[in-house]
Amino acid sequence: MAVKKLSKGALSKSFRNWFYGHLTCFSQEHMQTFGYLCSMLPLVEELYDTKEEQKEAMQTYTAFFNTEPQLGTLVVGITAGLEEAKANGEDIDGEMINGIRAGLMGPVAGIGDSLVVGTLIPILLGIALGLSTGGSPVGAIFYIIVWNLIITLGMRFLYYKGYELGGKAVELIVGEQANAIRESVIMLGTVVIGAVAASWISVTTSFQMLNAEGGTIINLQNTLDGIYPKLLSAGAVIFCWWLMSKKKISPTIVMLLLVVIAFVGVLLGFFNPGLSY
Amino acid sequence: MEISILQAVLFGLFACLASMPGMGGTVLGNYTLGRPLVAGLVVGIIMGDIQTGIIVGAAIQVVYIALVTPGGTVSADVRAISYIGIPLSIVAIKGLGLDPSSAAAAQMATALGAAVGTLGTVLFYGTATINLVWQHMGWKAVEKGDFKKLYLVDMGLPWISHLLCSFIPTVIITKMGSDMVDVIKTALPMDGIAMKTLFTVGSLLPAVGVAILLKQVVVKATDLLTFFFGFTLAACMGVNLVGAAIIGGFFGVINYKIKMLAIHKAAVAGANTVEDEEEDI
Repeated sequence: MAVKKLSKGALSKSFRNWFYGHLTCFSQEHMQTFGYLCSMLPLVEELYDTKEEQKEAMQTYTAFFNTEPQLGTLVVGITAGLEEAKANGEDIDGEMINGIRAGLMGPVAGIGDSLVVGTLIPILLGIALGLSTGGSPVGAIFYIIVWNLIITLGMRFLYYKGYELGGKAVELIVGEQANAIRESVIMLGTVVIGAVAASWISVTTSFQMLNAEGGTIINLQNTLDGIYPKLLSAGAVIFCWWLMSKKKISPTIVMLLLVVIAFVGVLLGFFNPGLSY
Repeated sequence: MEISILQAVLFGLFACLASMPGMGGTVLGNYTLGRPLVAGLVVGIIMGDIQTGIIVGAAIQVVYIALVTPGGTVSADVRAISYIGIPLSIVAIKGLGLDPSSAAAAQMATALGAAVGTLGTVLFYGTATINLVWQHMGWKAVEKGDFKKLYLVDMGLPWISHLLCSFIPTVIITKMGSDMVDVIKTALPMDGIAMKTLFTVGSLLPAVGVAILLKQVVVKATDLLTFFFGFTLAACMGVNLVGAAIIGGFFGVINYKIKMLAIHKAAVAGANTVEDEEEDI
């Protein structure tokens, strides 16, 4: 029997189906399962001739799947390689493929969320916000081009690396070098986020102590600025961070809490935007 | 300022593309068109005022800079923030006569965006629930071996979910919302407690967005120092964001080199016999 080899066309169709369709049919019960099925379908159709074999192969991918979809492309690539090996009669079965898939879902989601959504996007948006000062469209255009370029090339790379290397590809994202890169990128991200916070958050107080003639004794905002510029803005961030990470309060509740704080602050004269129509 | 039916329809269409399980896919849909900054550009073009669109989009973007959806739990959905919140904010800013480049305009936009964002959560769960029907059809197709139908299930039928949960709500709310501004203007004076609170909330909300991000990246307490390093660069030294990214990148590279050295050393110590040809130090 000739060795079965996936054609370029089938692989790129599989990649395209994942790239576009991994979340289009999302439900709480089967998040990315259908995206996965659509991505494996061109491969299964090429590797197996009879309907029965195809059905059996597709059955593997009906198991629940959900991870960070950008980095998760690697997992799809790995299974493409494994499915090819299985069709060639190597000692691999559907159960084993599913074991690998299930095992990778969690770690890939964790790394992907912190690296792609938690760091790469904020860095790009942070720079884009800097370019948007005064309502300039340059920032938005910068983000559209750079994000799509990086992530499309990145996902392609991961897919084909996964296909080539099979199980060994896991080293790409959990190896020591990958860890060093991840830590360094997160460091860059944290610096940018600090700068975003200082540039875009502006919490100020209108609290003043007046003497009998109406002159100012203490202007709280000026005093605070003297200690550390934007101290209240920094304080607001740390307060919210503390509530969410140490007290495990959900962002929605934190937002509601801020409404209460704002209301009380306005009543006490601590906050006053000082606007009129 | 009025929103025409054509404009409302366009917002509806973009809402379908940009949602979390959106029809634009995540790369081009949710992570591009869905970002409030990009939506600010899109809405600005549709409404014929790019400058105000970007200013509003940028202000809202700070709140949602880290929209991480771990395991599909959504705290706010971008379709409503971007394609309902931004158009309404623009209308409100113009209707109330605020200067678009003022802090007040930004605070108005963030408060309105967050309020509409909670509606987005409802729309998100609505879409996901309707998709269950298509998935059910999908399972039948897999059983029968009717595989071509999978494409219809994954990429075609969810449009119906979005017609119901993205398109129609967006069109109705943006169309109706523009009349609301006049009502607000007469009912709630700017120096009243309600409006003062609204604007104050608007100034506090970006802190939540940044805090969500911090929660992601801060593992140990010293990581907070990295955050304050960036904060100090901008607040005390006046470095802009591009400058801060370059400085941050520089420290990132140093950190990478240190880490690699440590790994290298450990590898050499661990296996004296193994030759290492990667780098000469």
